[in-house]
Amino acid sequence: MREDHSRSMSVSPSVSEARLASVLGTAVDGIVVMDDAARIILFNKACETLFGYSAEEVRGKNVKMLMPADYAHEHDGYLSHYLETGEKRIIGIGREVRGRHSDGTEFPIELSVGEAATPEGRQFIGIMRDLRPRKAVERRLAEAQAQLVNMTRISALDEMGAAIAHELNQPLTAIMLYLQAARRKASAGGAPDEKLVEIVDKGVREAERASQIIQRMRGFVEKRDPERRPVSMASLIRECLELVVLGDAHSGVKIFAEIPDDLPEISADPVQIQQVLVNLARNALEAVRECKHKVVRVRAFTEGPDMIVSVSDSGGGVPPEVVPNLFRAFSGVKRRGLGLGLTISRSIAQNHGGDLSVEPLGEDGGAVFVLRLPLDARAEETPAPAVSLTKGPSE
Amino acid sequence: MTVHIIEDDPGVGDSLAMLLGQIGHSARVYPDAESFFEAPPPSSSDTVIVDLGLPGLSGVQLIRWINGLKKPPKVIAITGQSNRNIMEMLGDEQPAVLLRKPLTEELLVSHL
Repeated sequence: MREDHSRSMSVSPSVSEARLASVLGTAVDGIVVMDDAARIILFNKACETLFGYSAEEVRGKNVKMLMPADYAHEHDGYLSHYLETGEKRIIGIGREVRGRHSDGTEFPIELSVGEAATPEGRQFIGIMRDLRPRKAVERRLAEAQAQLVNMTRISALDEMGAAIAHELNQPLTAIMLYLQAARRKASAGGAPDEKLVEIVDKGVREAERASQIIQRMRGFVEKRDPERRPVSMASLIRECLELVVLGDAHSGVKIFAEIPDDLPEISADPVQIQQVLVNLARNALEAVRECKHKVVRVRAFTEGPDMIVSVSDSGGGVPPEVVPNLFRAFSGVKRRGLGLGLTISRSIAQNHGGDLSVEPLGEDGGAVFVLRLPLDARAEETPAPAVSLTKGPSE
Repeated sequence: MTVHIIEDDPGVGDSLAMLLGQIGHSARVYPDAESFFEAPPPSSSDTVIVDLGLPGLSGVQLIRWINGLKKPPKVIAITGQSNRNIMEMLGDEQPAVLLRKPLTEELLVSHL
């Protein structure tokens, strides 16, 4: 249906006044107009809510009443400075200031000021946005991040110990076995080389000493009982993504989360699992940072007895020569960090009876990290099997 | 008797085979369960040393398969994992012997 708009374009004073009143009343931001003596001429609905005064109460009063004492004190000076010199300090610029509510509460606002030359003289228009909601979001984000860093630190120490113990065990095992093989060779046959046997024996003793250090470190880490409680993976994953995205809001990455709402709970340590997920998501974001096509996809689903969480990106994938050592401690090629993130993440997954693996090149044109966690954590319900473990020499 | 070693860490596999060779056993190393399956099955007089943390088919699954043989050989599981993990991984599938890394000759020999 066509409408004739020409009438609403008219400039009859009553119509334009009505229109202005409606604009002022509808505006979400506080709008205040004052004359060149700082007297309030106009005070809109949003201002009434913001400052707790009615328009009648403030009309004709000095605008200072909306400011905390320290600003109020300076305001006359600012105004006369501008009227004398024409030097703009806030007009057309806008800045963060504090407002004062009728009950005395001070709160942050973003203030922009405009100027109008009217038949009644110069007038100034101030538009004010309440910054409290934004401040609250910023504070919550900062708190959440600090908390995450803190939790991560505590658990990282343990996990680092376990991961390094495991990593060192392999070469140390090889060293001990090689030395023992060498010792046998040196002492075999008709004329054993006494000196060589002695040297190799010393080597074996040193390797054993290193092994004892690792055993002690491992024993220390293992003393702590693992925390296991029911964790809703769907909400845990969403929380992690929120955290990572909030900390990385400017990057322009498209993040797809394919997480069914009926994803079952699993028994896990939520802090540790969160650490793994945040690590994977951050890695993915970092991988696509320089890419034209920036996609990070997180999928969660169940598969047989396991819960699978896959994190894929469009960052070009993992070079084949890097894959074998990707989860090894200190093997990272990143400039920042120790390269322990994936080592610790895999260690956490394995501690939960699951695993962390990588497909070097997935459907989005980048790496896919697959976290597998058992739906039913058997270790928790059943007592340890009666079969005794044959322990290492130092235990 | 042949000792079959299924171990993905080349250093550990090689040193183990070398030491067992010195002791007088014939030893074969496989980097994963899959390549072990390609070889002829072990005889009941053999010993199979399985690293629990294998890539692909896990050590636990491999032990389950070996224990399911008509005449299963002796199984020695080796691992660098923590006690707790071992329990979680193994569940009901207990190998005859479980040794934790680092391994020593005397420990190993006592179980052969």
